[in-house]
Amino acid sequence: MIHNTKYNLVIGWLYPELMSTYGDRGNIIVLQKRCEWRGIKVEIKLLDLEFKINELKMCDLIFMGGAQDQQQKIVAYDLLKKREALKEMIEDGIPGLYICGAYQFLGKYYREADGKIIKGLNILDLYTENPGPDEPRLIGNIAISPCHPELVSGSHTKGDSDLRQNDNEQALVGFENHGGRTYLGKSVKPLGKVIKGYGNNGDLPAIPDGKSWQAGDETEGAVYKNSFGTYLHGPILPKNPQFTDLLIKIALEKKYNKNIVPNPLDDSLEKCAKKSILQKMKIK
Amino acid sequence: MNLLLILLGKLLSAFSRLLNLGSGSTWPGHIALSINPNFIKQILKHNPKLKIILIAGTNGKTTTAKLIRTILKKNNYRVFQNEGGANLLNGIASSMLLHSNVLCTLNYDYTIFEIDENTLPLILKEIADPNFIILLNLFRDQLDRYGEINTIASKWREALKKLNSATTLILNADDPQITYLGLHLKGATVKYFGINPANGINKAQHASDSTYCPNCGRKLAYDSAYFSHLGNWHCDNCGLKHPQKTFTSSPIYPLFGDYNKYNTNAAVLLAKEIGFSNEKIISSLKDFKPAFGRQEILNVYGKKIQIFLSKNPTSLNESLKTIVRLNAKNLLLVLNDRIPDGRDVSWIWDADTEEYISKFKNILISGDRAFDMALRLKYSSKAQNSNVKSQNYSSKFKIIENLEEAVFDALIATLKDEILYILPTYSAMLDVRKILTGKKIL
Repeated sequence: MIHNTKYNLVIGWLYPELMSTYGDRGNIIVLQKRCEWRGIKVEIKLLDLEFKINELKMCDLIFMGGAQDQQQKIVAYDLLKKREALKEMIEDGIPGLYICGAYQFLGKYYREADGKIIKGLNILDLYTENPGPDEPRLIGNIAISPCHPELVSGSHTKGDSDLRQNDNEQALVGFENHGGRTYLGKSVKPLGKVIKGYGNNGDLPAIPDGKSWQAGDETEGAVYKNSFGTYLHGPILPKNPQFTDLLIKIALEKKYNKNIVPNPLDDSLEKCAKKSILQKMKIK
Repeated sequence: MNLLLILLGKLLSAFSRLLNLGSGSTWPGHIALSINPNFIKQILKHNPKLKIILIAGTNGKTTTAKLIRTILKKNNYRVFQNEGGANLLNGIASSMLLHSNVLCTLNYDYTIFEIDENTLPLILKEIADPNFIILLNLFRDQLDRYGEINTIASKWREALKKLNSATTLILNADDPQITYLGLHLKGATVKYFGINPANGINKAQHASDSTYCPNCGRKLAYDSAYFSHLGNWHCDNCGLKHPQKTFTSSPIYPLFGDYNKYNTNAAVLLAKEIGFSNEKIISSLKDFKPAFGRQEILNVYGKKIQIFLSKNPTSLNESLKTIVRLNAKNLLLVLNDRIPDGRDVSWIWDADTEEYISKFKNILISGDRAFDMALRLKYSSKAQNSNVKSQNYSSKFKIIENLEEAVFDALIATLKDEILYILPTYSAMLDVRKILTGKKIL
């Protein structure tokens, strides 16, 4: 097998100390291993509070996870100062994965349960609102059907009788846990369509006292250029290796300016894990 | 009316056990509270001499409770306790109901209640002046159920403000959030415990939760960190720091592991506050047997099994660290995602499995989310080992989803003079015990 040994990648991990509450560092572990197994050298840059902008600019791939509210506020203060650099990279197509709180923060604003508005980075065309302290958090296993063409291999065969089977192998699975509901603007696309779960602004059953939250639009996450925002913890990448490899591929192609196909790896265990959770969710 | 509730509850509970519907540890209390919401308050008012000990915290409640119960019982005090896991209001009401006589009298000197993190503020509304409250720690645990630890800490803070001088608070000095709870309290007396570990490290581990100052929100500095965010901490910004007068030296440590040093020091500090001498504490604890599933040793088919409940990143790290020190060779990991475990299994990625996984000879993985745990291990090979072969997990560990098969397979792989170490989540621990003890092999 030919390895991609001549390549190397710098992965920037934004606020590993503060924004790493829900096992999201698993995404970094998986990105690193899947590069190393292919002989791609990886450097993980830890971009903690008060990191230097030129460190961020050296990165070929950006990752940022979610955290507790108190910690997100500390991060917001620091990151707003570096907004221009991050925006430039995102506009330039530097790939990135932004989970939960990080995803919300890329948008225009976050309206807290008490109505207070927290300014976002305003890089992605989306906003998030918490419907109030009495509305439930959206918590549970989630499966989505991805919209990104490279995550839908064989999308050209739509209409085939095996489509259903294909759909499931392509499904992205994870665990969501968020109070905010996110609404997408016109210049971003959803990451996927909800198969089961809540997604961006989930449809909840009517609450007995008559006040029910508006029906969701069945979207999950957002894609803008090569930046991906999502509510999927789990963490998302271990059980969705096709997504991990897409991030690696985009990062390599962007850096080396040519078509690069990452060598295939043995994903039988990952497939079993995905199949097992889909079965638990009774998705056939 | 409470008399009727007690009779009804006892009857229902007896039925429940007779029909094997479970031990009836929560729903008699549930019924009592729904008929009389003041049930707990009224029964306690009727028993003013009963001394009450409340224990809360993410890890160590059951072991600490058992240590205290053992000391009290060995010294001829009459003690009752809520059943393990029944640590919400209904479990506490049940426990009171089942231990009182028909005159609503509790013929006991002490009661010990393990309290769920979310229930502590509620129980303090019912029990306004407990004699002791032990607060052990706050770790990330079941974010889907409890929410984030800052939220829990602030709810605790509000609830503790109302305490009066009848209460002694026993707080973990090494946990910044817990220490902070004891500051500026007007009513209760506050005592601190901690540990003196042999090898503190200088940086908090990944599973750390509150490395930020609970007072001003800035990053804390650690002179030494013991595990997770526990250690000798201080804040350079606002000057908040680890309390100086801290109890760290029990005369006896009956269990392995740094985390059990915390449990022991908490229990022993309480015993000393009651007035027990070192000699009495040593003689009470020298034959101490661990609580079920917490380092509990079982013998099955002439083979030794030791169970280490591992339910969140910190407890999994500590279990692995402890059994590696014990030179463990055979490991069975069981990961479930039922309600008592937390539905979200992402926490396994916050545990540092990389550190320990190469030390074992046989690793078997089971449970509802066996494949998630298997992936965690697949991606746990050392970072510098970039050989493609390291992706070949099958030679390193085995996956058997069915727990019963897994347990017996692991037993077969364990040699006569070896120990099988089982690290389960909570519901998995109950299932493992049922498999091992329910077969009348014990």
